[in-house]
Order: sequence, then structure tokens, then C-alpha cells
Amino acid sequence: MKRREVIQLVAAREISQRLRAKSFYIGTGLLIAIILAVGLISRFAGGDDAPADIAVAVVADPAELTVSADVVEATVRDTAAVVDRGATVEFFPDFDAAQQALEDGDVDVVLHPAERQAVFQDDIDDEVLAVVQQAWAQVEVRDRLGAAGLDPEQITGALAVAPLTGVALDGEDDVSGLAMLTGTMAAVLLFISLQTFGTYVLTGVVEEKSSAVVEVLLVRAKADEMLAGKIIGIGIAGLAQFALAILASMASLALSGTSVPPEVWSALPMTIVWFLGGFALYSTLFALAGSLVSRQEDAQAAAAPIMYALVAAYMLVFVFGYVPDSTASRVMSLIPPITPLLMPMRMAAGAASVVEVVVAVVLLLAAITGAWKLAARIYEQVLLRRGSRITWRDATRLLRSQRNDL
Amino acid sequence: MLVVDDVTKRFGSLLALDAVGFTVEPGSVVGFLGPNGAGKTTTMRAIMGLITVDAGSVSWQGRRIDDAVRQRFGYMPAERGMYQRMKVRDHLVYYARLSGLTASAAGTAADNWLERLSLTGRGGDTVQSLSSGNQQRVQLALALLNEPELLVLDEPFSGLDPIAVEMLSDVLREQVANGVALLLSSHQLDLVADVCNAVVIVDRGRVVLQGDVNQLRASSQERTVEVEFATAVESVWPHAEVSDDGRRHRLTVADSVDPSVLFDQARAHGTLIGYAYAPPDLSDVFLRAVGRTTLEPAEQRSGHDVPDAGVAQ
Repeated sequence: MKRREVIQLVAAREISQRLRAKSFYIGTGLLIAIILAVGLISRFAGGDDAPADIAVAVVADPAELTVSADVVEATVRDTAAVVDRGATVEFFPDFDAAQQALEDGDVDVVLHPAERQAVFQDDIDDEVLAVVQQAWAQVEVRDRLGAAGLDPEQITGALAVAPLTGVALDGEDDVSGLAMLTGTMAAVLLFISLQTFGTYVLTGVVEEKSSAVVEVLLVRAKADEMLAGKIIGIGIAGLAQFALAILASMASLALSGTSVPPEVWSALPMTIVWFLGGFALYSTLFALAGSLVSRQEDAQAAAAPIMYALVAAYMLVFVFGYVPDSTASRVMSLIPPITPLLMPMRMAAGAASVVEVVVAVVLLLAAITGAWKLAARIYEQVLLRRGSRITWRDATRLLRSQRNDL
Repeated sequence: MLVVDDVTKRFGSLLALDAVGFTVEPGSVVGFLGPNGAGKTTTMRAIMGLITVDAGSVSWQGRRIDDAVRQRFGYMPAERGMYQRMKVRDHLVYYARLSGLTASAAGTAADNWLERLSLTGRGGDTVQSLSSGNQQRVQLALALLNEPELLVLDEPFSGLDPIAVEMLSDVLREQVANGVALLLSSHQLDLVADVCNAVVIVDRGRVVLQGDVNQLRASSQERTVEVEFATAVESVWPHAEVSDDGRRHRLTVADSVDPSVLFDQARAHGTLIGYAYAPPDLSDVFLRAVGRTTLEPAEQRSGHDVPDAGVAQ
């Protein structure tokens, strides 16, 4: 049989075994449910994302104002619009009634022109204060211009000044919270997926070795074909779950009602590339660790160095991911075992250049190739070696020794 | 014909196989016998290409054994190896496909063997839910799915109850009648002697005896006499082993001694209800040949072809 056919058969078995397990569906469903729930919760609970209208109480009798009540209301609304908020205006004949409304929570602020005060219930909301100050200043200017003899149309023309648009000269320094959130979410998903499916590879290899099924299989397939088939099969199952999680994340972002910058949208699909690269690297090493032991009880101990590396890479995201432009972060994100976890964060923040991403991919591919060659060579030599655990040091010695000469 | 020619294999300082050589003809059964640690599993692994040998060669029908030739073999390792959580039929189909069968042929072969091994209806069960006897049948089916020309079975009878042994023997007899060459190993020398056309007995990595079972036994210079009396009898022969109840007496004599003389001697001591005169068992022949008194493996060799034992570095 051709190599490709053998690898396909082995991979197909792994996929069908995964898809047969209830835990796969429960895990996937739970993951997607949690991701979607985050989006929904931030839509309905997050006041920051969908700010409420500013309710303003004005202590004045509209009849006594030279400026009409409609103009006051329109001015407040236009000013609030500059900070993306709506506004309502209510007139109260005296302060006590307005204060009551404030205490009842019906209004956010009481504008008391006679005292030249803007009164808040608890803390002074700077944004609301700025809005009412600006709005009232305009109303007073309008009032004075009117007193100076201008007609309302002239006044409107004189006051029609477009608001300034905020521009940051050094925009890269301003990493949005959303990019950080997305990058963190991507790192968490990647960590969970690499850990889960890497462990499947680990236990799968140990299962084959401990049950001696490997001896029956090796008569029909080569060790590296079995290894490739296993990694590809479990990888496809893992990819399916991961891709669904990423789709759910994008749906979750859309559901949250937040405006999402384009680099965040492009960083999310790229995580699939990072998953594939990370999985190829880590699962090959997990398989190698699994081939060194003959009992499931020893599997975790043998895989510990790889698990530590994965956890360390994950932790580094929380150190260097939040300073995506720093040199350290730049360098770290190019180190193959770290790349898959850190790069999504830097990409979401828009801090990773195309060149950096390409270099990271090339280095990752080189590391995968190296890990594969190492694993394939050791794998075929140790699969039939049962009994006590083979140490990593023994394994490296095997590389120098002759085949099967144990 | 399978030709194992002067195969030598070293594991570090240990000489596991020392110029092992024998042949297996199509349509015949060769018993590969010897104590634990003698080199049986190592030899079988060499035949199946699972290990490379340091010297010597293995061939089938004149061809060196490569991947294509090996696809025509069936193999059952000493330790049963199956995916415990896989369904029986799925497992058979999977292995049949790895053995080169098409999807439909693999399905047919799986159903066929499930039926022949009385496992019909168990195809949807997981391997681990089967009794050990039934697991053994599935393991055998794995070796037979591709209708092999050569069957290599490592300790096929170990751990089986008499019914399973009978079932397995029937299937194997049928295979051999159809022209399959069968090599089976056992550390219980006398158990498989009956089903074998020939035996190869190994010890410490070397072939110590090989040939027809009856000829090997008959070539011994000794004969065993066993008599059984209706009641306890005092010593008939000074060197005989006597059972606790005094009724059974066992004596080893030279093959030149006339059995009828011994019969008369015994009859003179009491009422006989049994008399047997035969060449020694294969295990006795073996022990005599290697100059040992027990089949227990020598200390320094133990663990080198027992699959679940650790291999010392």
C-alpha cells in the first residue's frame, strides 16, 4: 500500500474515534456556548458599549428664557451627540422638584442656571458635566447674541461650527481594550485546544504502545506513517472544534454590538493558522513523549517538559502580549513554541508587521520539521520497547545508536 | 517455503539469536518451542520484519521479506494487542484495510471471520467488553483477514480454556489443509507437539533440536514405563518413582530393554489395571539434550524475549 493510503486510513480511524466520543460534542458545545454567552452578556449588561441617554433637568421657566425650550433641547442633544450619546431635557419650575427627580434617578444631572451649577446625585460624571457645560455655554451665547440684536437664523449660522475630530499622532501606542480582549481570548482558546488535542495524541500513542496493538500495526504500517496518521487525524478533529470556536468568537463580537477594528477581524481567522502550526509542533512532541512510556500512568510524567513549555508560552502572553510593540514581545513572538500563542495577540493589536508574521511562520515550519524528524527516528526504535519508562536522555542516546540496537 | 537462515541478533552484549535456522513448508505446521527467554519472540519478530537482524536472512518463496511480501503474512503477537475501546467489527475492517483489502472486501472478510469464529452478533461490541477467550478469537481473526500464505502465531494457546484451544486448533488445521504454512510457538513443549508436523526447539538463542516429533522422541535412548495397580504395591523396581497411594510406578529404562519383560515383572507384583511403554516426552528429550533438569529460563537471559519485560540498557 502507498504511504498516503496508510496515513489516510490511520487518520480516518482517529477522526472516527474522536467523533464517536460524546465528550467531543459536549466539549465543543460548551465552548461555543460560553463564547456566545460572553458576547450576549456584554451586549445587555455592558453599559459602556451602549451608553444611555443623558437626562438633563433644567431649573428654569421656559417662558422666561429668551431662547426657546426647543433650542435648549436641540443644543443639549447636539452636544451629547459629539460623545455618541443621546439626551433628553426636562424643565422644572424650582430646584426642589428637579432635585427630587435627581434623587429618584429620573435625571442624570440638574442644570441650575441661577446658581451656575450642574448638580449630580453621587459622583460628578465628567462626560455629562462637559456636555451640559458646553451646551449651556452655547445657550448663553445664543441668548447674548439675541440680546445684541441678531435674529435666530443669523445666530444659528454663527454657531454652526463642526466639532473637532480627535486624532492621535502615534496611534500604535493606543492599543484598544477590545484588541487585548480578542488576543487574550485567542490565546486562551489556543491553549485549551493545543492542550486538549495534544493530550489526545499523547494518550493515543501510549494506548497503542501499552496494549501492544502497535506490534500488530507495525506489521502493516511504518512507524512514521502511524505517527503522521495519528497527528493528522486528531489534528483535523481539533481543527474542527477550534474553527467552530473561532467562528463563535466572531459571532460573539458581532453580537456584543461593539465596533470591531479591522485588525481584530483579520487576526481571528489567522488563529487557525497558529492552531495548525502549534498543534503540529506540540502534538509531535507529545507523541514522542508518549512513545517513551508503556503505561498511561507514566504518560503525564514523560510529557511534563512539553506541557511546561506550553504553559510557559501561555503565561508569556500575559506578560508580552500587553506590550505588543516592545522589542521583547517582538522577539518572543518569533520563537516557535511561543509564536502560536503570542502572535494572535500582537496581530489583534495591529502590532505585528507582515514581515514578522512571515518570519514567524517560516521559523515555526522549520521547528515542526525538526521535531518531526526527531520524533520519527526515535518513534520507530522505541515502540516495541516495553517495560520501564525510557528517559529523554536514553532517547537522545538512541539517535546516535544503531536502529533497534537496544 | 519460509527459510530462516542463520539469523543472528544481538541486543547490546546479549546474543539473543545465534545462527537460528529452520524452514516451514506450505501446508505444514512447525512448532517453535523452547523455554521462556529462548529467543522465540525475537525470531518471530525478525520474520515479521519488526526488528532488523545482525546477520543471516529470512525469505519467503525465495524472496527477501519486504513490505509487499509481508502483506501475505498473518501475525499474532505473544501479547494480545487491540484497541480496547474500538468496536470489534470496526477493528477487523480497519486492520483488513491496512492489510491491503478494499473497503468492501474488508467488510466481507470481517463478517466472514466473525461468523467462522462464532462471534456473529458481537461485531458492534467494544473489544474490552469481550471475554478474554473471545478477544483471543478476534486477535486470531486479525491474523487471518488477509488470507495469509504464512501464519506466524506467538504463543497462540496460552491462557485459553480447552474449548477455545479446540476451536483454535480446528481453524488452524483448516488453514494448513488449504496450504498455509504455519509457525506457532509455545513454551509448553508437550502441549503443541500433537498438532505439529515438525518442531524446532530453541534454547538460549540456539536451535538445539529440530525434526519430526515422533522421530525426535524415538531417537531417544530411553523409554518410560508406567504401570498402575488395582491396590497399593510394594516396590517393583528399585529406581522407580512411586505415587503416594502406592498404585502407580514410573521407571525410565534404556531403549534396549524388552517391554514384555518389564510387563511380566510388574504383573508378578499385583493386579495391573494399566501399563504404558513409550519414548520420553518432548520436554524430557529437550532437557536431556541441553543437559538441564528444569525448563525454567536461566537467570541472565530472562526477560529478553518476554514482550512485557523491560529491556536493560
